[in-house]
Amino acid sequence: MNESLALIVEDDADLNEVFRQALAAAGFATESVYDGRTALEFLEKIAPSIVILDLHLPFVSGETILKKIHSTPSLENVRVVITTADAAAAEFLRDQADLVLVKPISYIQLRDLTKRLNPVLQTDKFKTTPRAE
Amino acid sequence: MPEEKSPLGKPRADPVSLASGKPHLVRLSLFGFGLSELGILGSAIVGIILFVIISTIGGIENLQDFWLLIASGFIFGVGSIFIYYINRKNGQLASLLFLTFLTVAMAFSDSPNQVADGRTLFVFAIPIAISSLLLRPVSSFIFAALSSVIITVLALNIQIVPNIVAIVGFFMLALVSWLSARSLEQALQDLRQINAELDRRVEDRTRELSESLARELVEAGKNQAILEGIADGVIVLDTKGKSIVANPALSRLLDVPSANLMNKTMEEILQAGKISSPDRQTTLTMLREPHKDKPSIRFRWGERTLLVNAAPVSTGLGDVIGTVAVFRDFTHEAEVEQMKNTFVAMVSHELRTPLNAILGFAEMIREAVYGPITARQAGVMERIENSSRRLLSLVSDLLDQAQIEAGRMKIHIAEFQVSDLMDSLRVALDKQAAEKGLTLTTKIEPGMPSVALGDFNRLQQILLNLGGNAVKFTESGGVTVRIYRVDERYWGFDVTDTGPGISAEARGYIFESFRQVEDVVIREHGGIGLGLAIVKSLVELMGGQILLASEVGKGATFTVTFPFEPSKEKTK
Repeated sequence: MNESLALIVEDDADLNEVFRQALAAAGFATESVYDGRTALEFLEKIAPSIVILDLHLPFVSGETILKKIHSTPSLENVRVVITTADAAAAEFLRDQADLVLVKPISYIQLRDLTKRLNPVLQTDKFKTTPRAE
Repeated sequence: MPEEKSPLGKPRADPVSLASGKPHLVRLSLFGFGLSELGILGSAIVGIILFVIISTIGGIENLQDFWLLIASGFIFGVGSIFIYYINRKNGQLASLLFLTFLTVAMAFSDSPNQVADGRTLFVFAIPIAISSLLLRPVSSFIFAALSSVIITVLALNIQIVPNIVAIVGFFMLALVSWLSARSLEQALQDLRQINAELDRRVEDRTRELSESLARELVEAGKNQAILEGIADGVIVLDTKGKSIVANPALSRLLDVPSANLMNKTMEEILQAGKISSPDRQTTLTMLREPHKDKPSIRFRWGERTLLVNAAPVSTGLGDVIGTVAVFRDFTHEAEVEQMKNTFVAMVSHELRTPLNAILGFAEMIREAVYGPITARQAGVMERIENSSRRLLSLVSDLLDQAQIEAGRMKIHIAEFQVSDLMDSLRVALDKQAAEKGLTLTTKIEPGMPSVALGDFNRLQQILLNLGGNAVKFTESGGVTVRIYRVDERYWGFDVTDTGPGISAEARGYIFESFRQVEDVVIREHGGIGLGLAIVKSLVELMGGQILLASEVGKGATFTVTFPFEPSKEKTK
């Protein structure tokens, strides 16, 4: 399998679709989930290459999922992109994710940024944190 | 009237009672011995005794003379006592009887010869003269006539010619007495009138005084009642800062017993520990420098939110004699405000998600994710995107404003590259400026460190807002942005444009929420007038300062300065 998998965790179905399309355009195979609990269940079975993670989620919050990813050895190499409407929260979590994007998130922007995080296309670890507008 | 009590409750002073006093007392005191009623009685008894002694020394020739002496003494005594009692009831009548009795008695005081035409004639002058004083001035003529009749009858009785000269003399005396008594009467009357006038004035003054006292009491009572009934807490401090008035509402608001609010300084009152130290400081500062145009200060007091404002108390002459402070319970309003802000924040947040979706789908269509599109369709998609972005930025402004007002706007201080700040501005504005044919000049002055401390996102927001405004309102020329070191402690940036400038009036309110310079501007440039208000709040949250210099027609310069060492985490 030469395609990397992206897990999109976003409770708004439309926005989830926008993100999914962006990741697909960035060369990822995509899987969409709409709440925190399903996301956790998914992560227990499969380790995706990248997770697009909203912070405000039903049942289980994005922060909990983030902690889970960081504390699970099998998920060590998972890239995390946090999406949030709260700029302050975004600032807080800057060190804990590969990318923090503040909503509104542009399709083009997400597509272009995640393309660089796609291990199939590029192997360098993306360190710095470009800021969303 | 003499028995009447004065309104002050004190007995009337003596001179006043004399002025309007009992006429018979005044009358008799003018007569003879000038003694009191008891004196009259006493002198009558002494008179009887002297009469008896003198008559006895003169020798009593027979028993008839003795009885006559006893009888006349008896009549004299009884008469005196009788007149004394009448005098107590009616002075005029007593005087009349007395004088008549005296005149008639004189006819028997000597031999008829002597009485009618001799040495005793002059005694008749006494009642004539006195009557005009004791009775009426004109009554001297009656006694002159009575005396004339007596001596005429006596003269005819002893067959001599009545003494015409004496009779004329009596009438002359009566005339003189009448004239002098009349002027005396007049003088007395004037005196009485003056006294009465004086009396009336004293009475008027007393009444006025007592009325004004009563009025003042009523007024004071009214003011007291108002002060006690008012729902706001009121405290009055003297020039030394000690409380001299504190109403019950204040005691209720502060949960401090009334007794602990009197004769205390505000420092002592606000010591109660229900207030945070910064709030306490701002409140005390306000009370130290009271000004009625200063906005109210809001602070938390235990469970309550209170609003306080203070004003100097000055006399009509402008001397400041203290400070009055009014405390209002703002708890409910603060809660409502909090709810409103939470609501706005939530709504703003919820609005962003669908807007983000609209934006994303429009982009995808334009990027031909859903199949090829024509250039016109791509143009429409771009319009949808632009409108969505504008709407999003409005929602963001509302959210920021709500967070600032709710005190939930957090500032995160970290190191950042100064050049990043400028780069982000160029990325955002280069295209807009170029489209309008404006030059965008950015300069980082030498001396400005390359790394500084601050909240990068917020700084970017501030710079972008000021720069965006400058581009938006400038039609020709350009926008210049400079970042520089102000001095050892401060750095800052200028955003200068060659736009229409901002009038002095508008400079006064441009940093207020929901204000744009003119309505026209809103229609032309969009926005709801929150931008500069948010910028100002953000600048102040980071311990900075924003200034505006502008002249109509000559553009504007916004200057923002920040300390190099901001306090680590500042929360409004």
